[in-house]
Amino acid sequence: MSNLDRAPAIETTGLGKRYGSVWALQECAITVPQGRVTALVGPNGAGKTTLLRILVGLSAPTTGEARVLGRAPKQSEDFLSSIGYLAQDVPLYKRLSAEDHLQMGAHLNHCWDATAARARLTALKIPTDRPVATLSGGQRAQVGLGLALAKRPQLLLLDEPVAALDPLARREFLSSLAEAVADGHLSVVLSSHLLHDLERVCDHVILLANARTQICQDIDDVLTSHRVLVGPRRNIDNVEPTLDVIKATHTAKQTRLLVHLNGPVLDPVWEASEVGLEDIIMAYMDQDDSLSAGPLSLIGAL
Amino acid sequence: MHQLIWRLHRTQVYFAVGALSVLSILLLVTGATMAHDYHVFLANCTATRSCSEGAARLFSGDGSIMDLVNFTLVIPLLFGLFWGAPLLAKEFEEGTHNLAWTQGVTRRRWMESHVIWAIVAAVVWGAAMAALVSWWRVPENAIDSRFAAFDVQGIVPVAYSVFAVALGIAVGSIFRRVLPAIATTLGVFVAIRVAIGVYLRPHYVTPVSTLLPLSGPQSNGPIGSWIISSGIEGPHGHFYGNGFDLSDVPKACRTTFPGGGSVSNSCMAAHGFHQLITYQPDSRFWVFQGIEATGFIVMAIALIGFAFWRVLSRDA
Repeated sequence: MSNLDRAPAIETTGLGKRYGSVWALQECAITVPQGRVTALVGPNGAGKTTLLRILVGLSAPTTGEARVLGRAPKQSEDFLSSIGYLAQDVPLYKRLSAEDHLQMGAHLNHCWDATAARARLTALKIPTDRPVATLSGGQRAQVGLGLALAKRPQLLLLDEPVAALDPLARREFLSSLAEAVADGHLSVVLSSHLLHDLERVCDHVILLANARTQICQDIDDVLTSHRVLVGPRRNIDNVEPTLDVIKATHTAKQTRLLVHLNGPVLDPVWEASEVGLEDIIMAYMDQDDSLSAGPLSLIGAL
Repeated sequence: MHQLIWRLHRTQVYFAVGALSVLSILLLVTGATMAHDYHVFLANCTATRSCSEGAARLFSGDGSIMDLVNFTLVIPLLFGLFWGAPLLAKEFEEGTHNLAWTQGVTRRRWMESHVIWAIVAAVVWGAAMAALVSWWRVPENAIDSRFAAFDVQGIVPVAYSVFAVALGIAVGSIFRRVLPAIATTLGVFVAIRVAIGVYLRPHYVTPVSTLLPLSGPQSNGPIGSWIISSGIEGPHGHFYGNGFDLSDVPKACRTTFPGGGSVSNSCMAAHGFHQLITYQPDSRFWVFQGIEATGFIVMAIALIGFAFWRVLSRDA
């Protein structure tokens, strides 16, 4: 058991998923330690949902291997009890009430904290006796989160939980999530195509673009390993080899580079400055679009 | 788990109970009247020895209620359409399988309880309907072949219901959307039922063939038989069906006169022509019920196996 406790929340090697002839996810190698709140970001179609569905055992990978809390995702009560999952668009049984859902969860799970779930919904003034179809999107998302948390999972995976919510509901949802994280020993992965939403609650980031992993790091490490360099105009081939150029923009006189640092910046012509996470993420997404001719960009071109 | 299934299906259960209640009231009232009429008729006709003549007229005024009873043919299908087909298709369509299959029970256990309850409900549904109609048909069965209402009485309605629900579940696992699943279940169910009823059922057991003299009265076989075919057989074993060309008739038996001709039956009989009837005797009714029910249950088991395989081995 102690082995499993120390195992990474998520570890994948060479993970890939193909639908027909299109790879939805390729060569995905990520490691997320336990206790992190991870933002899984990437443009639409980058494979975020595919990755999450593999991690919760709803989908089987075409290649590679995934381990969640030290175990392969599989159909066992042990594994299923350790994860909480809120799928995209918050699927709930429309005609059932939140209370019905809570009772359902009690029947379908050995470990079920209905008291905390009810208290949370009551505190948010969400009616628990009405069919969930009559609730607002924000309320439904809270019910979905409540159900996922009531399992007392070790790893909670949320697929685009705030995408359809208005800014207020979004804020409330993320506060609820932050409280839950503060309460217990919980690792969280939440996906979004907008990083902006998640930056406030996350301390780790996975960037998927073009069905591949671009970044999987603690946010602090991402921030310290990237810089913007500004200097006189020059060809990017002449940049020192310890710098990976993610994005280059040129004006008549100046060159502005966003780089990943593999070592110190030695060339004194550069003026280095820190750069925000959102800019780094956007740079990676841009880079991928312009440099690769994968299936996604082909589709985009059509 | 069971409570969940109840919550998900309670509307269907209410509808089913409501529909069955209406049908029961209708059948109980008309059935009681029919039984009464029949007993009165029997008492009268045994006294006057006229039972064979009056029987055909006995329930002739009850056409619409007879149609209704024949219409109970679709009751097992309804179960497949409204419980079987949506069972998986609705989960997929609304995405709730993502919720259900990431709770603390395995997909296999989830399937087991849902499928078992669906089958139990199908058995109850089919049995209730079959019991009602079988009871209602008792006087009718006495004057008409039981085979005439083979599909709505006995044990086959139970097998049809189980088959319908299994078919719906299997189809739902492929189509993953409610409407296509319902439409396909409807089409496949009707096609299989018609194909089996028309092409296979008459041959479950080799039918009995009887040669009857051509000159005697037309016969429909022993009382309660299911006539598969009846017609004229020639001296060399050639079967003519119900009509034949004048050229097939021996010259001696033709009498021609201006404007037409006629054939003498007694002359034909003398030349070796017979009436041939092929039928399944009434005594085989339960054998046929057993064979047909077994066939549909076996298909239902295969379909359930297929649905399990789809759900457990493929991506959700």
